[in-house]
Amino acid sequence: MMTRKWIERIEGEASIGFEFEENKVSFASIAFPHFRGMEAILQSKPAMDALVIAPRVCGICGHSHLFAAVRAIESVYANSGFPLEISPKAQILRELTLSLELIQNHFKWLYMVIYPELSHLLQRPIADSCRLKGAYAASLATKVLAIFAGQWPHSSYMIPGGVTCDPTYVDTVRAMGILDELMRWFEKEVTGISMEEYLSISSAKDLSHVSGDMRDIDKMLRTAKMHKQGFSYDRYMVLGNHGFSNPSKYMHRRMAKVNPQLVMLEDPYTVDEKTYAKNALYQNNAFETGPLARAVTNGVPFIKHLHRYFRDSTYTRIMARSYETALLLDHCKTLLQSLRLDEPSFIEPSKKITSLSEEGVGIVEAPRGPLIHKVTLNKGIVDHYTLITPTQWNLSCGSPQTQGPAQKAMIGADSIETATFTFRSFDVCSVCTTH
Amino acid sequence: MKNISEKPATTKKEDRKTSIMQTALKLFSTEGFYTTTMPAIAKTLGMSVGNFYNYFSSKDQLAKELMLYISTVLGDKLREINMTDVSVKEKVTMIVHMYFSIARERPELIEYFLRVFLSNREIFTKECTGMVCVSGFVTELMLFFDEGVQSGELKDQDFFSALGLFMGYLGGMVFLNGEEVLTKPLNEYETAIAENIYNALRKQ
Amino acid sequence: MKPRLKVLWLQGVTCNGNTHSFLNYPHLLYVLETFEFLYHSLLPSTYTLEEISTCVHECDILIFEGAYDPRMERVGTSLETLVGHYGSHAKYVIAAGSCASFGGMFKHSDPEHITGLGFDEKEPKGPFASSPKLINLSGCPMHPEWMGYTLRMIADNKPIAVDELHRPKELYSYLAHHGCTRNEYFEWKVDSDHFGTKEGCLFYKQGCRGPMTHASCNKILWNDVSSKTRVGTPCFGCTEPDFPRINMFETKTNMSIPQDVPVGISKRSYLTMAGIAKSFHIPRLEKRLIDDDA
Repeated sequence: MMTRKWIERIEGEASIGFEFEENKVSFASIAFPHFRGMEAILQSKPAMDALVIAPRVCGICGHSHLFAAVRAIESVYANSGFPLEISPKAQILRELTLSLELIQNHFKWLYMVIYPELSHLLQRPIADSCRLKGAYAASLATKVLAIFAGQWPHSSYMIPGGVTCDPTYVDTVRAMGILDELMRWFEKEVTGISMEEYLSISSAKDLSHVSGDMRDIDKMLRTAKMHKQGFSYDRYMVLGNHGFSNPSKYMHRRMAKVNPQLVMLEDPYTVDEKTYAKNALYQNNAFETGPLARAVTNGVPFIKHLHRYFRDSTYTRIMARSYETALLLDHCKTLLQSLRLDEPSFIEPSKKITSLSEEGVGIVEAPRGPLIHKVTLNKGIVDHYTLITPTQWNLSCGSPQTQGPAQKAMIGADSIETATFTFRSFDVCSVCTTH
Repeated sequence: MKNISEKPATTKKEDRKTSIMQTALKLFSTEGFYTTTMPAIAKTLGMSVGNFYNYFSSKDQLAKELMLYISTVLGDKLREINMTDVSVKEKVTMIVHMYFSIARERPELIEYFLRVFLSNREIFTKECTGMVCVSGFVTELMLFFDEGVQSGELKDQDFFSALGLFMGYLGGMVFLNGEEVLTKPLNEYETAIAENIYNALRKQ
Repeated sequence: MKPRLKVLWLQGVTCNGNTHSFLNYPHLLYVLETFEFLYHSLLPSTYTLEEISTCVHECDILIFEGAYDPRMERVGTSLETLVGHYGSHAKYVIAAGSCASFGGMFKHSDPEHITGLGFDEKEPKGPFASSPKLINLSGCPMHPEWMGYTLRMIADNKPIAVDELHRPKELYSYLAHHGCTRNEYFEWKVDSDHFGTKEGCLFYKQGCRGPMTHASCNKILWNDVSSKTRVGTPCFGCTEPDFPRINMFETKTNMSIPQDVPVGISKRSYLTMAGIAKSFHIPRLEKRLIDDDA
C-alpha cells in the first residue's frame, strides 16, 4: 500500500508516495507535478536573451542559471575557434556574486526550513521571528550581490566577455562593510564564536565551543537521531569549477576525475503520479550533489571528520550545508580583497554572436550542486537548449532497483515525518527539478 | 483688408526678417557668399546699414539663420508628405517632385545649401555644427525612413548611407541642372529618379 | 491588539522569484505583526497548503504569484477553484509580479491557456479582468518595497490609486529612467560604446527600455543599493505587459533611428531634440568619468 504525501514549504511542490514494511519506509517515489517548459521558451530566441530568460528558471538560484547560461554561450565562442578573454576582475565578480547567492540560499534553508521543521519534529516550537533570521541574513548577502549585479533576484549582469558593471572602490568598500556586518551577525547568532575559530574546527568535539543557533540545531539533530539515518550511496559529484569547488567524483571512498560528457538523463520511474523531472545520472549511477559533495571532494577538515563517523547521514548533510555558509562568507571576503578595479569589466568578443553556429556547455556549482546548461546556436539563435539541474541528481526518482539519492536516504525512516525531514536535508527545489 | 500695422510688433519684425533673408539668399546665390557684403544687402533692401544690423548682428549669424530658414521650409514640405496617407513608394515620388519644384521656383534655397552651406563649412562650424541648422529637414527625413522600415517597405541600413543616397542624388541633379549640363528640363527626370531611389532603398 | 488582516499567498506558474524578492523586505516583522498569513511557502503560516486547498477558509487579501493557468493544480485543487474561492471573498487581490499581472515570462509556456489574473498582456482577461479589487505589482520580480507599500496602505485604510493597468500610480508613474545615474549621457546623446563602463547611455545600442518603462527602480533602489542601469545592464522593461520582448540586449532601430522613443514624446519632437543634442561634442562626457591621468 502506498501513502501519498504532499511536500510543502519547499521551492514549489512535490509529492512522495511511501511504502512501509514493518513500520519502516521501504520505498519512496518522488513526483513533481508542475512543469513550465523553460527549454521550449528558450528555443528560437536570440542567444543573448537566454541571459534574461534563464535566471527565471528559479527564484532562489537564478543567478546560478545566469552564470551557467553565460558560460554556455562563451563555450559556443570557444568551440567556434574564438575563445573569449575574461578579465580576472570579471571572473572574481562572477564568483563573488555566485557565492553570495549560495549563502542567501543556505541561510533561508537553515532558518526557514530546517530549524522550524526540526523543531516541529521534536515538538519544540521556535518563535516566528526565528524564521526571519534567515530572511535577514539572506537580504544582507543579496545586498552585497546587488552592488555589483544590480539586483537580486533576476540580475542579467554577466554577459559573454565579462560583466556589465564598472564598480569603483566606493562600491567595494560598501560591499565589504555589509559583508562584515553579515559575518558579525553570523558569529553572534549562528555560532557564538568567531569566524576564525569556527573555520578552524576539525571535529565533532570542537562543536562544544559553538553556542549560537548551530548548537541548538546540532543537539536537536542528534536527539532526533539524524546521525543514524538518511544514508544514501555515499557517492558524490561536483562538476562546476570555482575557487570553492573541486570538480571530481567520489565513489567507493575514492576521488576520481569526471567527464561532464558522461552525464546522462533518464526518464523517471513513476507509480501512479505524473512527474516531469528527469533523472540525472553519471555512467548509469546516481550521485549526491551539493554542499556535502563539495566538502568531501574539497577535503574540508570538519566535514571530512563528520563524514568519517556519520557517513552521508542526514546530520552530516545538514552540517555540511550550514558549514559551507561560513566557508563561502570567508571566500567572499578574500574575493573582494583581491579585486583589481583597473582591469576591464568586459572585453568585447571579436565575433558577432549572430555569426556563430555551434554547441556549447556551461557548468557551475549552484547551491544544490552542478548546474549544466547546454546550448546549440544557429547563427546566434537558440536551436536547442538543455538544462540539467542539481536537484535532478539528488531528487531523481528511480525504481526500487535504481533509486535516486534522496529516495535511498528515506529508506528505513520510522515515520513519514522523519522521512520528509531527510528529504528536506537535500534542500528541495521543485522549480529547478522540472523547469 | 486688414491693415498690416495691426500686426503685433514681433510679427512685423519677423516678416521684415524673412524678406531680408529672401533678398540675402538671392544675392548670395547669384553674387557669391564672400563677395556679397552686409552693406550691399542693406542697400538692395533700401535699409540703412545701422538698421540692418538690428536684424542680424553679423554675417555669420545671417548665414546660420538662412540655413535654419531653408531647413524649416524644406522640413515643413516634407512633413506634409510624411503626414499623407500613401505608400512609401509614392512618398519618394512626392519628395523628388517637391525638391525639384523648389529648385525650379526658388532656386536660391537649394543653391545656398549646395554652394554656401556645403562648400564653406568654416562659416558654420561654430554654431551650425552637426544637425543644429538642418534639424528641421533631417528630422522629417528620419521619420520618413523610420516609417519606411517599420512598414517593411524599406531596407534597414545605416541612416547616413540612406541619406547620402537620397539627398546626394537630388542635390547632384540640381547641381547639374544649374550648370546647364542636363539635356532635358529637371522635372522630366522625376519619374526615373524616384524609381531609382526607391529601388535602391527598398527591402529586397 | 486589533485582529490581523488575513493574507493568503498563492503560487501559480512561477519561479518563486517574487516570494524571494519579498523576503528581502526590511520590515518583515511589521508584516507578520499586522497580517496573519493563512499560507505562505516560507513565512510562518496558520495553515498548510493542503488545508487551504479545502477552500473552507477566507482571506482579506489574496496575493497571487505566477501566471494563471486555470487547469493547474496545487496539492490537487485547480487554480480556478482556489483563486475563485479565495478571490471572491477577498477585499483585495494583489498580483505579485509580471506573470500574475500580465502573463509575463510563463505565459510563453502555454500562450493559449495562460494569462495574468486580470490581463492577458495588456488586454483585460482572466478571473479578475476589470475587477476593482485587482492591484497589479508588475515587475520580474516585483520590488519588495512595492508590496510593502501596498500592504501597509491597505492596513492603514488608505486609498491606492491605480493606472489603467491596475498598477499603483505612486509606484508606476515614474519611469525606470528617472533617477538613472546615466541621465546626463541620455540628455546629450552620448551612447555607451560597449558594456562594462559606468559612462554612456544604454538607450541607443544596448536595448535599454528605461525611458519607456513604468517602474520606480531608480527611485527605490533594488536591495536598497542599486539597479540594473546602475550596473550597466539595460532595463528590459520587465514591469510592462510586453515583457519578455525579443532581442533584449539590442536597441531596435530603423536606419539607425530608435523605433521606440520615451513615453508620451512624439518621435518628431524626440528626433529634433536628439539630433541637435548629438551635434555637440562635449569632452567632459566623452571621456572617462574618473580620469586617472588628470
